[in-house]
Amino acid sequence: MELHFKKALDTLGPSLWGGIGIVLFITLAGFACALAVALLVAVGRLSKIKILSRILAIIIELVRGTPLLVQFFYIYYVVPILLNSILSLFGYDTNIQLEASTCGIIGFAINYGCYMSEVIRSAILAIDSGQREAGLALGFSENKVLFHFIMPPALRNSVPVFGNYLVMLIKDTSLLAMISVQELLLRTKTYASQTFLTVEAYTILALVYLCLSIPLSYLSRMVERMLKRAR
Amino acid sequence: MLEIKKLSKCFDDLEVLRDINLSVSKGEVIVIIGPSGSGKSTLLRCVNLLEQPTGGEILYLGQDITCLGKKVTDYRKHVGMVFQKFNLFPLKNALENVMYAPVKLNKVSHKEAREQAMELLRKVGLESKADTYPAALSGGQQQRVAIARALAMKPEILLFDEPTSALDPELVGDVLEVMKQLAGEGMTMIVVTHEMGFARDVADRVIFMDGGYIVEEGVPCDIFTQPKNERTKSFLARVL
Repeated sequence: MELHFKKALDTLGPSLWGGIGIVLFITLAGFACALAVALLVAVGRLSKIKILSRILAIIIELVRGTPLLVQFFYIYYVVPILLNSILSLFGYDTNIQLEASTCGIIGFAINYGCYMSEVIRSAILAIDSGQREAGLALGFSENKVLFHFIMPPALRNSVPVFGNYLVMLIKDTSLLAMISVQELLLRTKTYASQTFLTVEAYTILALVYLCLSIPLSYLSRMVERMLKRAR
Repeated sequence: MLEIKKLSKCFDDLEVLRDINLSVSKGEVIVIIGPSGSGKSTLLRCVNLLEQPTGGEILYLGQDITCLGKKVTDYRKHVGMVFQKFNLFPLKNALENVMYAPVKLNKVSHKEAREQAMELLRKVGLESKADTYPAALSGGQQQRVAIARALAMKPEILLFDEPTSALDPELVGDVLEVMKQLAGEGMTMIVVTHEMGFARDVADRVIFMDGGYIVEEGVPCDIFTQPKNERTKSFLARVL
């Protein structure tokens, strides 16, 4: 078997560069949205409004009980059809289509948002109840106590876990190849089927993922250490 | 200034406070003693509504505060509390712990709050620890910061919930010293404690609680030297 890594790198490389941009964009946007979703869901889950908490618990169960890939397919293929048919009931003739990478970001926001909301929720519950009482006794309202005294240490304690999720997320962007996002896997697959440099192409792909995820996990460990030192 | 009438508190089936009547006038130092589980802490926590009483009323300056709803936060600004476990905010240093509430709740300017906080830290003898985080302070120091934090809201009444129970014996003195000083300055205080020496020296009135009732109340020398109730006698015989 003859291997042509030099050739593969020269021809596949530029295409992968473009893919990295897309992957990083989706990762950052998806993670940021997921964090926002996680915060809202965590607070909603802990709210005194029973019905809200119950509904969110069911949604979390649904999201955690189905594969991420299936969720991407659902958002990409099913949701537009549902939207269009609902709108047609009101007499609007629309042809809504979601762009694949937008679906990716939405999917990550929902899926990772649900998982991370549970992290935040347990971090909130782990904060000593004395903090809440101290805040209340000073004259802060329940909501202000949550915002000023409970959330900051809870989020801080969640940072290491968030780091893990970020690394997982960047690898999970490869699932988006299935809904036609021009990310790394899809580009490699196309390239390999055109050139038959299968071994070279997928090996390079794996290395590129490593080059993305290793620095990221190193970074998250560094942040973790920094936070520990600041305490 | 504070009047508690027929106050009761149940946790499910458990009656923790029964028919509590107590009035506190301005500048008075009241010390509550009694065995564990007698309802002392619950009574104190009812006074600033960390526990919602199940019955009776609490009048502050003539107004019943048990049904304030959202306005309870305004009332709590007038009633400071010091906890057994200090409950300082771990991500803020001593100075920030003290100045945080005035800045956020009373819209005091940063500069003014800072000066006031330094003044309070000086008062509790911890000026030099302003930049130190709670984790690096001893228990006694943390509790003194907690007292300064409560004072920063300029409360009319200060509640102390076993302020020295979580401290090493040799650190107790510093905290009690600060509390004595406050009492001397005319602060209205309700103190739950097991420090009988403090009760005897500083209290204007001592209240002995048992089984959710106020069993006996009176000036310290009467309670400590000639208690009338049998339960008070046996309790004091064991702790003195």
